Amino acid sequence: MSDRRKHLEFLRKTAKDAIWSGDYDRALTLYDDGLGLARGWKDRDLEDLFTCNRATTLLEMDRQDFDLSRLKEILLRNPFSFNGALAAHTCARAHELRGEPSRARFYAQTALQKSRDLGFDDILASSYNVLGNLELRESRFEEARDLFEEALGHLQSRGDETSCLAAQYADNLGYCHIALDHVETGLPLVRRAVDLFEHHGARQALDYPCLDICFASVKTKQLEEAEVWGVQALALGKEFARNDVVKNSHYLLAETYSEMGKEPEADEHYEALADFYPNFPALKNYLRQISLMDVINLRA
Amino acid sequence: MSSSQSPRKVHLVGSRIRELRKGRRLTQTELSEMIGVAQSDLSRMEQGEYKVGLDTLFKILQVFDLKMAEFFGETESPTTPEARSLVADFQTLSEEAQREVRDFVRFKKQQEQPEDSMPGVPEDEKA
Repeated sequence: MSDRRKHLEFLRKTAKDAIWSGDYDRALTLYDDGLGLARGWKDRDLEDLFTCNRATTLLEMDRQDFDLSRLKEILLRNPFSFNGALAAHTCARAHELRGEPSRARFYAQTALQKSRDLGFDDILASSYNVLGNLELRESRFEEARDLFEEALGHLQSRGDETSCLAAQYADNLGYCHIALDHVETGLPLVRRAVDLFEHHGARQALDYPCLDICFASVKTKQLEEAEVWGVQALALGKEFARNDVVKNSHYLLAETYSEMGKEPEADEHYEALADFYPNFPALKNYLRQISLMDVINLRA
Repeated sequence: MSSSQSPRKVHLVGSRIRELRKGRRLTQTELSEMIGVAQSDLSRMEQGEYKVGLDTLFKILQVFDLKMAEFFGETESPTTPEARSLVADFQTLSEEAQREVRDFVRFKKQQEQPEDSMPGVPEDEKA
């Protein structure tokens, strides 16, 4: 590997670590630097690689201010290389977050096929994960469970059982089991994800695992447990400005306190949740009397 | 393992959504357009197979614009004219006034609890 490539690989690794720890701005700066260097060196492969990585970072930041057609161009120019598979995978994530499941599925299947044919295990596992997420959003929990098992299996088959990716797939798989009312199977997977994320210092990734444990605990009436994890999920959601996590946390905490008979605390969270819906003034009254636990999907 | 079943709350379930939709004379297609899901997904939802996020659930509640007594119709509808009148009056109150009424009812319930069931009160202070 040339010195130039080594330097850019170092930038990529540092940027990936920054993403897991929630320092997206730093990751973006590193990818921008790498992209500038690759362009200066007129190294098309590295430029394509950094273009994909930069787009992935923006997606993690809930931003879509990048040129999606550029990713598709990379895919077309590189039908039989790592960059092509990575571009397909990034397109899938972009369409997923834009709420375009059919297109997301198409590009995820493309990434899956290419990475399987060419032997890129990372992208292969990650493509299964994207496909699992798409099933999960549509409440196809059994299909999603099978895809997350595939994703996790591919990591494990090459000895990776402790990375942040392994934690992410384990959490997704655990949530599927919990949603299917197999809490006793799902909860250990989610707890393992929490341990791994904490071990890696990946604070930003802890929000959904915390929410999932809270959800499982409300289901099984472990209310003290639900309170602890719900409070943690809420704090993380606020810290990383994730409204979906904040709203779900408020709802689960309100249900928890309501089950505990702590109506004033429950009201606080119902009110905080209702603040997100100013055009629905009756919402609080409904939530005080109607439980949505049987029809809610935290990942929809 | 079953889901949480709070005794104090009515659980929104697929079959109840179907009943409420039919009560509003809405077709699946009409309701699915109103709440932004595919008709096939709403059909799965009514069968208890499809679950959704809070945003969609709140749209459903908003579309049905339920009166609480109506929602509780199956199980806990006030049966006496006086109870029905109380519920109707309550619903006309402002948010703040409703909160005061709830606090007052909570206070009265605590007052009417037998003294020996009061938590945290030492025996020698109950007399």
